[in-house]
Amino acid sequence: MLRFRSILSIFEKYRQKSKRFIDSVKHRLITWAVKLDNSRKQKELRKRVEDILNNPSNPKKRYLDIFIIVLIISSVFIMIYEVKHPLPLWMDIYDIYFVSLIFLIEYILRLWISSDMTSEFVEEYNKATFLGREFKVLPALARGLKKKLEFMITPAAIIDLLAILPAYRPLRVLRIFVLFRFLKLLRYTRSINQFVEVLSNKRFELLTLLLLLLFVMMTGAIAIYVLEDMRNPDIKSMFDAIYWSLVTISTVGYGDISPVSDMGRVIAMIIILFGIAMISFATSVIVSAFSEKLHTLKEERIIDEINKSEEFLIICGYGQMSKMFFRQFSKIDFKYIILDKNPERVKEALHDGYDAIVDDASRHETLARFDTNNSRVTVMCMTHDDVENIYITLNAKNISPKIKVIARAGSENIVNKYRRAGADHILLPNETASTMMAVAIMRPTMYKAIDAIFSGKNVAMLDEVIVHSHGHLLGKKIKDIDFKHFKLIPIGIQKQNEKRFIFNPDPEIVLEHRDVLLVMGDKRSISYFIEISCKDRC
Amino acid sequence: MNKGKMGIILFGYGKFGRNVARTLKKEGIESMLLIESDTENYNKAIEDGFDNVKLMDVTDDANLEEIAVTEEDQLVCLMDDDHLNVFLVLSLKALYPNNNVLALSDSIYATSKLKMAGADRVIDLYSVSANRIYNILRKPIATRFLDGFTDGNHGYNFRQIRIPENSFLHEKRLDDIDFRRYGIIFIGMIDVELANSFIFVTTGLEHKLDAGDIIVCIGHCEDLDRFEEIIKEPEEECRI
Repeated sequence: MLRFRSILSIFEKYRQKSKRFIDSVKHRLITWAVKLDNSRKQKELRKRVEDILNNPSNPKKRYLDIFIIVLIISSVFIMIYEVKHPLPLWMDIYDIYFVSLIFLIEYILRLWISSDMTSEFVEEYNKATFLGREFKVLPALARGLKKKLEFMITPAAIIDLLAILPAYRPLRVLRIFVLFRFLKLLRYTRSINQFVEVLSNKRFELLTLLLLLLFVMMTGAIAIYVLEDMRNPDIKSMFDAIYWSLVTISTVGYGDISPVSDMGRVIAMIIILFGIAMISFATSVIVSAFSEKLHTLKEERIIDEINKSEEFLIICGYGQMSKMFFRQFSKIDFKYIILDKNPERVKEALHDGYDAIVDDASRHETLARFDTNNSRVTVMCMTHDDVENIYITLNAKNISPKIKVIARAGSENIVNKYRRAGADHILLPNETASTMMAVAIMRPTMYKAIDAIFSGKNVAMLDEVIVHSHGHLLGKKIKDIDFKHFKLIPIGIQKQNEKRFIFNPDPEIVLEHRDVLLVMGDKRSISYFIEISCKDRC
Repeated sequence: MNKGKMGIILFGYGKFGRNVARTLKKEGIESMLLIESDTENYNKAIEDGFDNVKLMDVTDDANLEEIAVTEEDQLVCLMDDDHLNVFLVLSLKALYPNNNVLALSDSIYATSKLKMAGADRVIDLYSVSANRIYNILRKPIATRFLDGFTDGNHGYNFRQIRIPENSFLHEKRLDDIDFRRYGIIFIGMIDVELANSFIFVTTGLEHKLDAGDIIVCIGHCEDLDRFEEIIKEPEEECRI
């Protein structure tokens, strides 16, 4: 009894001690986690690493990609070279240590940024203190590790891990894992993902086919094994039989193993017939999967392409207005995409040589596909239907208020609704044309002047000249610029810092950075003026 | 301006006609004749307060001949139906070859047809609007400035000014006149000899002004008014 008690007290002591120890570890862990979580430096570093590894729009990522690709190719080359030639020492060292080390670092970094473990701890701790509950390390740790594990079992992560393995020299077999380095290249091609995606859409058919193939193959293998095991010296085991069966069924037919009995030949004939049927079936499934998906794949490419640009237009509806809009440009030097619900219209647009997709711009998913964070997006609502235009406007503004919206309105009564929806510019084709018509009626001679200025087609174009920080115009006074020489008339200045427009500017006004000068003149004069004034001062 | 002399005849009071008629009315032009072939639109025009409205079948030349058209009248074709509009232009041009025929078109295809039919000026609804979008995207500041002319927001305007007799501007070279000091910008002049065509200053215009010349300026309405007063004087004032 006494002894038992002493054991108990020792145990108790030990327990207390260990509890104290665990508590102190816990405490240390949490202070460390909180510190790490609050550290700006750590966060910034993390963000930068993530950016360079995963953000395709980061220019530095390109360099990193090229570097890794060079490493991969050199490593594979060394493996091939090694087959016939003794390897020089430096190559060996380069391959084992340098390449593997870089890949190891890459793998660790990817693992690090895959999920945030410290925030997991901090969150758990905050929750515990809030609820007055004891803080438990294990659940948070488990959750964090689970996330890391989830990342580790993704195909890309597995390939990355296996690509490091060849560094372990004692096992020669691991050399073959250099091939996984080759597979790492897949990260840089999108086609393989799309291929897998397309095939996964046909999972059911392909799986059925595979099961059928397995069934026929096994039947053939068992049959040949049972029938020819004694007679055929080539078939020594079940493995030989399965190998023969697959080679035959796939119509490859190496001929290293061939049936010797009549029964065996009958079986071969049967499974060959099955093989042809199944191969053609599989081909047709894959081809149809691709032809179904080809369209969307193409669209995705277009959208990806456009998302890379700094600024682009989304033109909703391909009608008269959009057509005329494109005619305004002698050369299309901007990025755009046309969306139309009507496949006929899209066909027409494609026929006219413009990029267009069949899609409904009033759906959230449609516009959300575009990268509104990194690019300046302008949505043009050009459909004939006011209700739809307003819906598209709201949709765009809902996705990001940064999106600029130019909308076409059917009548003046509805302009208010467009304003409310947040449209930046509202266009009234009827009204605009009426105004022009009224001008043409009342002042026939003036019309030509006004039309020329408005449309910018003729000798009198009104254009903007932006004062650049390196250009000739910076710091000059209006009177110092010889507009007469350029055959231009200065109409006004938009002062950047005052945000106001000065008509007929005073000769003493000094041009500052980013001011906009409004000049009128011949198109050629203006482009000449811009060319001269924007050249760097040498 | 010779607003009083010229008459305006609008054909059609549909979706376009209504807008044009209203815009003209807003500009203070009352003396226009509206012609409609559709009873509903005809009633609408009367309801809207236009009293000079006629209902007739515009496809019948006999009807068109009955309209009292003078040499100075402007004929504006604003029928809703493209086909009818083209037909009307054709008939009007045959009946009144010397008159100015204007037409509004709402499709690319109609524009070229109207021109072939002989319309002197065709305004393409979509072309005008598409142009505006282009300007909004490429020249936002210029667009805001130009918009002011049509909606009258900023008070600047284009004006044709005839040089009066005995003006100090008479026999002066354009280069020697400082328009800036009057707060206006000279942008060109109208050549009366060359069928009233407009010549921009930016084409390198060198000209000695004569009484009777018409110059075109942009400026604030008040400045333009003042300028028009000043140039009536035989001598230039030293300070304004």
